[in-house]
Amino acid sequence: MLRAALAGLRAHRLRLLLTSLAIMLGVGFIAGTFVLNDTAQAGFAQQVTADADKVDVAVLPGSAGGRLPEKVLERIRALPGVTRAEGLIRGGAPVLGKDGKTVGDVPTTALSIVTGPLDRTNVVAGTGPGTDDQAAVLDENTAAAQGFRLGDTITVLDRKETAHQFRLVGLIDTGVDQTLGYTGAVGFTTDVARRMTGAKGYAEIDVAGGGPGLKAAVAAAAGGAYQVRTGAELAGDLARAAGTEIGMLTTGLLLFGVVAMLVAALVIYNTFAILVAQRTREMALLRCVGATRGQVFGSIVLESAVVGALASALGLLIGYGLAAATLAVLRAFDSPLPTNADIALTPATIASGLAVGLLVTVGAALLPARSATRVPPIAALHGQSEEPAFRAGPARGVLAAVLLLAGLGTTAAGAFVLVPGQQVSMLVVMAGGALTFLGVLVLGPVLVRPLSALVGWIPRRLFGVPGRLAVDNSGRNPKRAATTTVALTIGVTLMTLISVVTASTRLTMTAKLDEQFPIDYLLASQQRDAVIPRSVAEGLRGRPELASVTQIRQADATVAGRSMTVGTFSGPVEPYVVSGSMSGFGAGRAALEDSSAARLGVGVGDTVALRTERAGTVSLEVVALLDGDQSSLPPVTVAERSFDAYFGAVPDSLVMIGIGDGVAAERARAVVDAAVAAYPTVRVSSSTEVRGQFDEALDMLLMIITGLLGLAVLISLLGIANTLSLSVHERTRESAMLRALGLTRPQLRRMLSIEALVLGLVGALVGVVLGVVFGWAAMRAMLDGARLAVPVTSIVLLVALSGVAGVLAAVLPARRAARASIVASLAAG
Amino acid sequence: MTLTETRRQAPPAVVATDLSKVYGSGDARVHALRGVDVSFATGAFTAIMGPSGSGKSTLMHCLAGLDAATSGTVHIGDVELTGLTDRQLTMLRRERIGFVFQAFNLLPTLTAEQNIRLPLDIAARLADQALFDRVIETVGLKDRLGHRPGELSGGQQQRVAVARALISKPAVIFADEPTGNLDSRSGAEVLSFLRTSVRELGQTIVMVTHDPVAAAYADRVVFLRDGELVTEVNAPTPQSVLDTLVRLEA
Repeated sequence: MLRAALAGLRAHRLRLLLTSLAIMLGVGFIAGTFVLNDTAQAGFAQQVTADADKVDVAVLPGSAGGRLPEKVLERIRALPGVTRAEGLIRGGAPVLGKDGKTVGDVPTTALSIVTGPLDRTNVVAGTGPGTDDQAAVLDENTAAAQGFRLGDTITVLDRKETAHQFRLVGLIDTGVDQTLGYTGAVGFTTDVARRMTGAKGYAEIDVAGGGPGLKAAVAAAAGGAYQVRTGAELAGDLARAAGTEIGMLTTGLLLFGVVAMLVAALVIYNTFAILVAQRTREMALLRCVGATRGQVFGSIVLESAVVGALASALGLLIGYGLAAATLAVLRAFDSPLPTNADIALTPATIASGLAVGLLVTVGAALLPARSATRVPPIAALHGQSEEPAFRAGPARGVLAAVLLLAGLGTTAAGAFVLVPGQQVSMLVVMAGGALTFLGVLVLGPVLVRPLSALVGWIPRRLFGVPGRLAVDNSGRNPKRAATTTVALTIGVTLMTLISVVTASTRLTMTAKLDEQFPIDYLLASQQRDAVIPRSVAEGLRGRPELASVTQIRQADATVAGRSMTVGTFSGPVEPYVVSGSMSGFGAGRAALEDSSAARLGVGVGDTVALRTERAGTVSLEVVALLDGDQSSLPPVTVAERSFDAYFGAVPDSLVMIGIGDGVAAERARAVVDAAVAAYPTVRVSSSTEVRGQFDEALDMLLMIITGLLGLAVLISLLGIANTLSLSVHERTRESAMLRALGLTRPQLRRMLSIEALVLGLVGALVGVVLGVVFGWAAMRAMLDGARLAVPVTSIVLLVALSGVAGVLAAVLPARRAARASIVASLAAG
Repeated sequence: MTLTETRRQAPPAVVATDLSKVYGSGDARVHALRGVDVSFATGAFTAIMGPSGSGKSTLMHCLAGLDAATSGTVHIGDVELTGLTDRQLTMLRRERIGFVFQAFNLLPTLTAEQNIRLPLDIAARLADQALFDRVIETVGLKDRLGHRPGELSGGQQQRVAVARALISKPAVIFADEPTGNLDSRSGAEVLSFLRTSVRELGQTIVMVTHDPVAAAYADRVVFLRDGELVTEVNAPTPQSVLDTLVRLEA
């Protein structure tokens, strides 16, 4: 029996090759993800180990953001066995770019760079600052982005926003430190770092030394409130922290791998189902010569296991290659991922890749194998097996109806009933989507014929006899056609869903931005501190180029015993009143953001106590609640004069500016830029820029996700090619007859291409409908006030591409069919 | 002028001259046809007979342009098949040749009527409605035209196949064991229908068979053995065909 199964494999190796390809791609993607993950993690580990080897013991603050006082360092230095101990300083120190404005959205992090063996800085060009108080180093990304080179003079603001100039002597690699990667880093000598940041104490103390019990001794000297780590422990912590992000990326990628494997499973299921149907006589013959049902079942399962194992092994190689290629690309683009580590194909990756491939293949072949056992021995004596007539039984209808109703009901509940923006709404919509999809899967064979008739309406009329025959053929075996197209539907559904979600997000966000940000320019510092002199806004208010200038001022104060931000505004602003009224807003009154009011437990008409710097405690009557999601006013808003009376002449925190009608944006921008040129921390952002960045980020996301889903679509195309080539094989004599009747070779090829086109379009059409419906449901579940946008162009393009891809999938089967000799084909079967 | 007279005066529909077909090479060489000279009269029903492996199917395939002969020539009417491209052969089949096979004659997705009209549709030709009606009448399938092959009996399916071959008014119809899969009653129906189309429509038919009873429906039977034309019988009866076969086998 084993021999029979293996002989079967050999006989069908060409047909199984396409199936193998589906598994290979799926396993390759999953294995590649693992390899990438392992390599990146290994890279992190290598980097931090190299760093941490220099440190014997490190002392860290007990909580994030805490500090280690100077006296701890002194106590550690005094310990016997400690050869050296250095305190590291960290704090904000905004670097100014060549435009004279602070760089980035957050202040650059200043570091102290120690000299001697405890120096862990990775200088990639030039040198460290050494003991030169006029020298500084920058991380290479900031330097590259701002166009700074070694020898340039850079300007850095200290804590009091006084500008200091330094000579750039080196570039450093921030390595695995995610914070530094985000903020950028500027390094000074310890003294300068302390002066610039105003930091009291250290962010970390590194100790070099030897002897047993060093860690315990340091811990005892430092006191109980601090964390004490050995070098190796520190390396572990750092690598883990850095690896978390990679871990999330890995999880994300694996999701796409799961989709790909799901599609591959459908392709495998279909292939084995067709192979079993075609080998009915073979199975019957085996039964005739004494094989039991179990043996027939076993032979099919064995066949699938061999295919699965071989394809998974090849998939592992593909995954390895895929990861290597990705790393090469990442290296070429200077990505933040460590790419130096050796590419790691770990035993765990090998085991999971093989297991996934094997399980999916064998699992998908189980149903076909079971149907093989139902072949009676007498079938060996019948002639050509009849095409099974498909009849939609009532059970199928009932099941499909139940699934569809449940799925759509669940989705509707998630989209309409539950509160948007919660994870649970999203999960409910996803569950509804899964149920609906199952319903479509069950209903598929019933849907295929009407859909192919619909889709085939044009080809049927356009391509004459080949077109007509092709459309008929596409619905000929509804079960097979349904499974083939569903594989494509999965990919198209997800692609459509993603494009609907991104387009809707874009539309919703643009609408929200228009509401919230009815302004063209916003002036603010990186931290939205009160640093904009009032004269800036007052000067701008007189300019004819600008239509509106609104100032927002704020200060921290205690309201009803809680620390809150209190502010005021000057100029036109839309308050978005939820309840109460802003008319007659003046002294002794306050408007509260709705969420803050809820926190304080007050409503319109209540009174709250405000403790101020200058006016002592005053009591304020709450006259209005404002929509916090929409209003740009502070949590507690008071009248302008009252604010000055309470807090003094505080500078503006935000200035919102609208361009006058018919004024060119460049001209208005020049006016605004000139007004703030003297204030390096005041940055100008324009709403179009914000939107542009937002759009870019969305486009990028859409592109990446579509690319990743492309794999699933590719696998489903293998399925179409597979189904077609098996159909071509089944219809060998029929094709020969048509050729004898005068169908030319090109016509025969065209017939198969159109069949594939119809299959592709049916799959795409179902996918588009599902994608739009669930994309919209997902949007409703995710965002309050979501607006639906259907990116018609991309969807039409997607459908067209699916059709084209279907035709491409038909190229090889069609060629084989057209090449076959008529005489030989007539004799076949 | 009667049909019989036309037949005598018309040139033969199909002529094969010194036709040879060799399969394989070296030790595996098989001579399927060895210099066959044969012609088939226009408007006649000719049967090709011979024991298994005598080359009768190969002869038919070469005559119909489905297979290329190793040497020798085939003429259908005034067209010589040798040297025609695949496309030219396809066009020739469309215009001049009809086929009836032993099985797999019909497309399961098309109705009987669609199957009958298929050759015309492929050639994008309009049906001669009078001919269509007459063929349907003769074939006796008027009430079954809307049925698909799966809903027809084996005999009915073969009659649809013959009707399909007739509808394009081909110069010659090649029938390869058209009754091979039928019970004797259905077989008789199909064979008499073939003979009727020769008598009444003047159709030329060449039929390959190994059944003496089927061969007896023809006007003339030619006998092949080991790739050579050995003898022929005019106005055959089942008995005379059987006698000739027995003689050949001996």
